[in-house]
Amino acid sequence: MATAEEEVSRQDALQGIGCSRKRKEDPRFVQGKGNYVDDVKMPGMLFADMVRSPYAHARIKSINKEKALALPGVHAVLTADDLKPLNLHWMPTLAGDVQAVLADEKVHMQYQEVAVVIADDRYIAADAVDLVEVEYEPLPVLVDPHKALDPDAPILREDAQDKDTVGQGPRKHPNHIFTWEVGDESATDRAFEEAEVTVTQEMYYPRVHPSPLETCGCVASFDKVKGNLTVYITSQAPHVVRTVVTLLSGIPESKVRIISPDIGGGFGNKVGIYPGYVTAIVASIVLGRPVKWIEDRMEHLSTTAWARDYWMTGELAADKDGRIKGLRVGVLADHGAFNSHAQPTKWPAGFFSIVTGSYDIPTAYVKVDGVYTNKSPGGVAYRCSFRVTEAVYLIERTLDVLAQKLGIDKAEIRRRNFVKPEQFPYQTALGWELDSGDYHTALDKVLAAVDYPGLRKEQEEKRAKGELMGIGLVTFTEVVGAGPSKSCDILGVGMFDSAEIRVHPTGSVIARMGTITQGQGHQTTYAQIIASELGLSSEDIQIEEGDTDTAPYGLGTYGSRSTPVGGAATAVAARKIRAKAQKIAAHMMEVSEADLEWDIDRFKVKGVPGQEKTMKEVAWAAYNNVPEGMEMGLEAVDYYDPPNFTYPFGTYLCVVDIDKYTGQVHVRRFYALDDCGTRINPMIIEGQIHGGLTEGFAVAMGQEMPYDEEGNLLGNTLMDYFIPTFVETPHWETDYTVTPSPHHPLGAKGVAESPHVGSIPCFTAAIVDAFSHLGITHMDMPHSSYRVWQQLHELGLDKRT
Amino acid sequence: MQVNLDKTFPIAASGSSAWKFLQDIPGVAGCMPGAEITETIDDSHYKGAVKAKVGPATMAFNGDIEIVAIDSEKRQLHLIGRGQDTKGTSSAEMDLTAWVVDIGNSECELKGEAQVKVTGKAASLGGRMMTQVSDQILNQFGKNFANNVMALGEGEDAEEAREELAEQPKELNGLAFAWSVIVGFLRSLFGGGKSSAG
Repeated sequence: MATAEEEVSRQDALQGIGCSRKRKEDPRFVQGKGNYVDDVKMPGMLFADMVRSPYAHARIKSINKEKALALPGVHAVLTADDLKPLNLHWMPTLAGDVQAVLADEKVHMQYQEVAVVIADDRYIAADAVDLVEVEYEPLPVLVDPHKALDPDAPILREDAQDKDTVGQGPRKHPNHIFTWEVGDESATDRAFEEAEVTVTQEMYYPRVHPSPLETCGCVASFDKVKGNLTVYITSQAPHVVRTVVTLLSGIPESKVRIISPDIGGGFGNKVGIYPGYVTAIVASIVLGRPVKWIEDRMEHLSTTAWARDYWMTGELAADKDGRIKGLRVGVLADHGAFNSHAQPTKWPAGFFSIVTGSYDIPTAYVKVDGVYTNKSPGGVAYRCSFRVTEAVYLIERTLDVLAQKLGIDKAEIRRRNFVKPEQFPYQTALGWELDSGDYHTALDKVLAAVDYPGLRKEQEEKRAKGELMGIGLVTFTEVVGAGPSKSCDILGVGMFDSAEIRVHPTGSVIARMGTITQGQGHQTTYAQIIASELGLSSEDIQIEEGDTDTAPYGLGTYGSRSTPVGGAATAVAARKIRAKAQKIAAHMMEVSEADLEWDIDRFKVKGVPGQEKTMKEVAWAAYNNVPEGMEMGLEAVDYYDPPNFTYPFGTYLCVVDIDKYTGQVHVRRFYALDDCGTRINPMIIEGQIHGGLTEGFAVAMGQEMPYDEEGNLLGNTLMDYFIPTFVETPHWETDYTVTPSPHHPLGAKGVAESPHVGSIPCFTAAIVDAFSHLGITHMDMPHSSYRVWQQLHELGLDKRT
Repeated sequence: MQVNLDKTFPIAASGSSAWKFLQDIPGVAGCMPGAEITETIDDSHYKGAVKAKVGPATMAFNGDIEIVAIDSEKRQLHLIGRGQDTKGTSSAEMDLTAWVVDIGNSECELKGEAQVKVTGKAASLGGRMMTQVSDQILNQFGKNFANNVMALGEGEDAEEAREELAEQPKELNGLAFAWSVIVGFLRSLFGGGKSSAG
């Protein structure tokens, strides 16, 4: 019999699930040896740069390229008229709308792409951009989404003016994109009529941008002889890009190769298809040379996918004990000039209907209206599964307002409304099936860890002294892992994901997935899954992603879907291999398959000590000694279509002190407990949570993309746009519980987005809580010192006595 | 990005000579630091250029000036200037009403109300300093205007004004200008300044 000690050492040698294995990506990154798109250099490569509109809304009267073309080193200047014969001047968006690749007669937003210049190097290209003369006739600008549907509002999208739909249902105005309704309106109205208490809170979730370290870009290379197109691209979904390129260009999908190399952060910003990609590809096809296009930071912030811009009204109906009877939500969504939101096609507001949160709410109704404005298109980016951030913000904020009105403690009102452990799987009023959860345990653990009653007592004492201290509490439920193909697709392709694993004769492994890491550490964690499933050391398991010529088709990495979908595919593929390996092991030891049992890294004959074959030995046999009738080799592929989403959850608590005279908010404590089911690599999880909390802090405390009345974007440089450094970032305390997902092969859920989704309302809640004794129920983000000071000033608290 | 400006410049000359000069559009444009009239289309339409250099960045605006109204009775001029920078990344628009008021003692005041709108990169990058920059440009303008009017006359003051004008740089002077903007900004922090951002 193997000793326990020996088992532990065999287990440890695998570095499998549950091990805080160091990231395999880091050695190359910390040595400056990553390979990003802008590192790609090809012989004869040209550079593309964009001529962009200074106006938010204008008619293009003329474009004169002569001076630019006369500049030595300039190869081409392309405008919409040049793309028209190829029918590429407009492109379809993931949301069923179309977007101008290069402005066609009109510009609809500031910094919109008007022409592209192709030159020998990026400096000549930049000079040539200055020489392209564009004459504009300014048109009235629509910035305020509340005025978009006015009868006299300027009509923005003349191309769509007469269309009954722009891909997401009927429209009621030329600037209207869709109306999306979920839930039972009349039952909800009735709940409000009969309720003992109701509350209403309006709130604005500002427009923010994830601004990853690396901006977007690509290198397109068309081989005129072979007719092959290769594109290195900053994409979170390379296979989807390949399909879109084929649909747009007509080049067979087998001749299109999309490579996502190392990516410096995505956060949803790198899911969509941008005009820069399309024009670089067209230029390469036309000129027969590789063409590189890389954005600068201003272009990145001004034109690529941002998030939110939701004007929300949350209403709760409850009894006098704070038990919720109904939820009603109205949203005005500012989608910018084109509806190019990256999300599953049939979900105009993403998964916003998760808005019932962690609570047992009997009836609910949500209505979202999307409108066009003269602002940049995009959306849904930023570490959130398709509008879950907005949903969690709304329910957590509105629930606080209810607690305040009833004088019930904010922890207590949550406890009273939680879905109870025995209610799972729980059907929400808006159609979701929450897979698993234990909200009470998570809440109790956090309250005990921070001494919640002690904090409330301290707050009382401070208030008596006129000092401002706030405690924010959020108990969120996320929905990640899109998604079951019956409800989720992108351009008709179901949102499955895939893994292909090959075990070599000597027992090392190469595995490829349809997802693509951008900082999540897939090369580390997928290897751990395979190590645990196959009993082979993760050090000998090579993970490759991002090259569509080699990886199986997958929908990519965003919305925390890699572990729920790609991780599941990996586990299932590994299990297929183990099943075959078991047959080979039985054959090797001349016993029946049923006589074998699996033990960490080997098959043992039950009851016969010493009769065993390690997976390594089986791997060798798979290439020379298989049972009769079995094909050689040891590999498997799996396309995993998840039966449901996964629903990670958590309890976050934030303590702030506010300086009455300057409005400065000091985050004294932030305690984050996350439950993402089975934990594959605790260190990577913690890293993800730190990153998400820091991004949440950024959004809550300073980030916004403001536009003035003329449609000028005033937040598109790092002079204005807040990126927190270690100086500003608070200290994070993390904790966890483990409630496995019942339907995931490993019991794992996604995690990367939870800290973002959960922390943002927690900061707002803490700051509002500091003012709650003065009757304040809500303050809109960002909670910059100036804005907090304005609130203090309004209340007269900033006066020195 | 829009800024509303409201300025008064004292001039040590009679209202009639100030009004006379105010109707000389190329002359008035020349008072604007870095600006000139490049083409006279007719009595009320001109083409102009403005060039500003701050540090390594040069912004050159080309545009059209339209005289909307000249009211001799009120001694009032209304003009609109619209321009685009030569790189196509920004545009600017100014709606200006200027008039002359006699304050006796053969002195007068030039009063002006202007709405300045800027779009594009100039707004994104320069928006936060726009009030101060516009303010400084107009202060320089007021000084040049007063000198020009006084230079029309005779005597010591006129001579001095002519000398000052001759020394005036043709382009908006980068560093000196930046300095005056910073000084103006600091002053405004302590309650000075009449202009307001809109």
